[in-house]
Amino acid sequence: MIRMIVQRLLIGVFVMWGAASLIFLIVRAAPGDPATVLLGPDADRGRIDELRATLGLDRSLGAQYLSYLGDVSRLDFGESHRLGRPAMDAVLDRLPATIDLTLTATAIAVIVGLTLGLLAGGRPGGPLDRVVSACTIALQSFPTFWIGIMLVLVFALGLRLLPSSGVGTPQHLVLPAVTLSFPFIAIIARLTRTSIAETMREGYVRTARSKGLTERQVLVGHALRNSLIPVVTVVGVQVGALVGGAVIVENVFAWPGLGSLVVDAVANRDYAVVQGVTLLIAGIVVVLNLMADLLIAQLDPRIRTGAV
Amino acid sequence: MAGIAAVPEKVTTAPPRKRRRLLSRIPYLVVGFYLLVALLGPLLIDYDPVHTSLEDRLLPPGSETSTGGTAWFGTDGLGRDVLAQIVHGARTSVLIGVSTVAISCLVGVVLGAVAGYVRGGVDAVLARIFDILLAFPAILLAIVIAGAFERSVLLVVVALSATGWITFARVTRGVALSIRERPWVDAARVLGVPGRAILARHVLPFTAGPIVALATLEFALVVLAEAGLSFLGIGLPPSTVSWGQTIANGKEYLEPQWWISTLPGIALSLLIINVGILGDQLTARYRRGRTD
Amino acid sequence: MTKTREYGRSRLLRLAATATATAALLAACSTTSGDDDNGGGTGGSGDVTAAGTYPIESLDPHGAQGASTGTQLAGQEIFSRLVKPDPDGTLKGDLATSWKPNGDVTAWTFTLRDGVRFSDGSPLDADDVLASFQRMISLNGPNAGNFTGSTMKRTSATEVVLSSPAPDASVPGKLGTFYVVPSDVGKDDTAFFNDPVGSGPFTVDGFTPGESLVLVPNKEYRGEKPAPSRVTVRNIPELSARMTALRTGEVDIVWGIPDDQLASLEREKDLTVRTVPSSAEFTMWFNSSTPALKDAKVRRAIWQAVDFKTIISELYPETGKPADAPVTGVVLGHVPQPPVAHDAAAAKAALTDAGFDYSKKLRLQFANAEFRPFIQAVVSDLRKIGVLAEPLEKEQATFTEDLIALKWDINFQQLATPSYDAASNLGRLYTCEANRNGYCNKELDGLLAAAGATADKEERTGLYGRASAIIWRDAVGMYPMSVSIAYAWNNDLKGFVPDASGLPDFAGVRKGGS
Repeated sequence: MIRMIVQRLLIGVFVMWGAASLIFLIVRAAPGDPATVLLGPDADRGRIDELRATLGLDRSLGAQYLSYLGDVSRLDFGESHRLGRPAMDAVLDRLPATIDLTLTATAIAVIVGLTLGLLAGGRPGGPLDRVVSACTIALQSFPTFWIGIMLVLVFALGLRLLPSSGVGTPQHLVLPAVTLSFPFIAIIARLTRTSIAETMREGYVRTARSKGLTERQVLVGHALRNSLIPVVTVVGVQVGALVGGAVIVENVFAWPGLGSLVVDAVANRDYAVVQGVTLLIAGIVVVLNLMADLLIAQLDPRIRTGAV
Repeated sequence: MAGIAAVPEKVTTAPPRKRRRLLSRIPYLVVGFYLLVALLGPLLIDYDPVHTSLEDRLLPPGSETSTGGTAWFGTDGLGRDVLAQIVHGARTSVLIGVSTVAISCLVGVVLGAVAGYVRGGVDAVLARIFDILLAFPAILLAIVIAGAFERSVLLVVVALSATGWITFARVTRGVALSIRERPWVDAARVLGVPGRAILARHVLPFTAGPIVALATLEFALVVLAEAGLSFLGIGLPPSTVSWGQTIANGKEYLEPQWWISTLPGIALSLLIINVGILGDQLTARYRRGRTD
Repeated sequence: MTKTREYGRSRLLRLAATATATAALLAACSTTSGDDDNGGGTGGSGDVTAAGTYPIESLDPHGAQGASTGTQLAGQEIFSRLVKPDPDGTLKGDLATSWKPNGDVTAWTFTLRDGVRFSDGSPLDADDVLASFQRMISLNGPNAGNFTGSTMKRTSATEVVLSSPAPDASVPGKLGTFYVVPSDVGKDDTAFFNDPVGSGPFTVDGFTPGESLVLVPNKEYRGEKPAPSRVTVRNIPELSARMTALRTGEVDIVWGIPDDQLASLEREKDLTVRTVPSSAEFTMWFNSSTPALKDAKVRRAIWQAVDFKTIISELYPETGKPADAPVTGVVLGHVPQPPVAHDAAAAKAALTDAGFDYSKKLRLQFANAEFRPFIQAVVSDLRKIGVLAEPLEKEQATFTEDLIALKWDINFQQLATPSYDAASNLGRLYTCEANRNGYCNKELDGLLAAAGATADKEERTGLYGRASAIIWRDAVGMYPMSVSIAYAWNNDLKGFVPDASGLPDFAGVRKGGS
């Protein structure tokens, strides 16, 4: 177990290095640079060159890369000249809003998704199953921003039930979290349904049935537990995707999360912030995957003992 | 973009066969119809994104235009026909979807098969590349790439392929790993058939089933992702018509002039739904083939 | 699900379920802390909520964001300036009670108001003004570019002198973006700007960059005490969300509203809608250094080919007005020029006459999706007479880089003159030396230099008028439209004055009944 954790952590460090390097290269390969954006269309060449030198952008790419890696290894993520503050401060400022949004969306997705999957998988091919599959396909088929704007029009403007945008109260969280959870609900529901349906044909389920347990006991006691393994794996992977996918939802609902920060940072060529956000998200994904692996090991003793 | 796990299994309680078979054909018909529209539609319905007709702005569906025609689906903020935009947009969206999936598929299958078959160093390197790329949510990487460079269709394809190939590589690698231990592959190896030929003749064909199923799902995701990028205002140049562009252009008119965004949105969603069902069917068929 | 209790392994399952529920609960709670108003943004009667057009990313008026609309909006409420423009653009003393130039207009003397205090009670004098000026110059942000080579001297506790290397009559106008902070604020003092001390009508109660700024009245403010007890400026990037928030009452004031949205807002009984002429003008420079556009006849013909009147009346019926000079009516130096009438046939003839190469595509660059419809309408009109123009929508970064490098044939900008003085538009951008659009005319250079070297308003207007005539006649660019800013606010707000720069002041705003 410990060996596995250490091994995973080493891979994690490697992944972070790779992620940092990849983003470093992409943002610098892009045309335009922070100096041009900062000084705006009014600036002349001379002032731009001056600012480039101040920002250290006149050095060779290799020199910039080495000093960046050196800084990062000392946990110095650079300064955002545009925002006039350390990049990581700006990023961490936005993190709580993103965590609120993604955790709530994940919770909704897991609860609704598992329930739908359970209902559908209990009797594959039944009418309920078909209704649920139709729903899950539909949930994934509309562009997120379209759903978001529609929900605003109905619940905020039409019914005046919920605030249309911004943060502040739990009510503010409802529409963005629901919008974000839609495709995720579909993924979890389908996954649960499949593995439940499969488990129901397994020998031990038949044994359990023959022991006289009710269908509900069999479902929840045996099948659900088994189907949790793929669900946990997918949640581990998808939470990262959710943080990224939140960009659009954040835009529709004026939700001050990481996604909108990174879109602005890319447009303004704010290298330090782009690198900071991506590194942080990569870190979160690495940790979540590790946690998912550990949780799976708990759920499935075969993995824990290294049999797989 | 990874992670649509669509695996409905064998249906045990089947409704009357004939009706089912007919029903299961619908997605093929719908997807076929879209492909036809994307291919031939632009030849029949004329649309010039540059030509604007300001006196025909924001006409509701069914209105008569200044040139005497009928705008069945209404017009947008510049007086351009929405139906024509849907038809021409279908071409762009399908083109982006197909080329992204094709690139992802090609890169993914080749690398995955090589990694799974050769194993060793190649496999290890590839596994680490997966790890790194999977550390970014796909849409995030797409946003960074699409936001940083000059807008073009090619850029959108590259941005979306950047992570799209991973799923293909993973699946192929899995299949290759299991196939390479089969006796006929061993036999071929003993007979001195070169590695490349074994890969092409004995390993790759087995990946076809899952890959086709995966491709349909990936296609749906790519079309949706393009719409998302257009919404954020990055990716395609303004002169390119795509569903995403049209939907995004109409987002400010959603309440009074609902048709600009809603009709292309429905067109897009109908395709995605049918591609999704198709993907499910293909997955189910592939699974049956494997288990039976 | 309680039946799971019968099974040994169910503990983990429950644990997972509890964890999820807790997470959801935590997520819900952590957003509530410290704020208990009920869903809407406006709680108490004295609370005003506004949603501007751009986010406020930083409160440092000297830093990299200093020229951005968001930072300016915050700056004018928190800090004081030497002079400030009224909502209609006329200059007014803020910290300065009077100002006057020397004979050759190379030095301006500002006399400061006595007894001004910062919000922490400490006095504000010439030392603070001097230190702030030096801080702005040393940070080298966009505002510093207005004062290249200028120096400030303190002559007494209530007097400073600003000297520039060349005669500059527009110094007072340009100081409209110069804000005074306490003299002990360091160059990189980020902590200070999280909770800044200023001498404006408001102080900061809470600030989340890019999301919201909460202002409360400054008790030490020298002028009339601001009416609202609390002002929240929110950032709502998505237009439809901003409009919805206004209509649901979550937001009281919104501005920068596109014409197509105005119609539905005007139908709302509870809203007041107004437009104010601004200093911004749609400016479409020709790159006169491109061989195809070297000839003024060709440039004029292209201008003539576009039916701007129709485009404006269709796309900008309320916020657009055909422009009649290179700068708008609110700017000093505005002198009306004869309108350029749309005449496609004459344009075509003139182009053919001048030997224009119709096969060459003109690169028409612009930077903001908001202008896409306008640009496409222009391109469509040009196409009608056979001129091929390719609309190139660029990211701000690339746009600026290409703009300076003259990598375009026609450049679209919504060009504002925040100083309300033609010197910082015409005087700065149209000289041979600036080379911003490939156009060079010694006569024009002379007029612009002369206009900058006198402080007499009438004389300056006359000189800028002659300069404008040359720019207009030679079609250095097309000047289709002057822009108005549309504001909409709830009827129960009293005393709100729409501002010509899109930087409204909230100090005089009263909320119904209170």
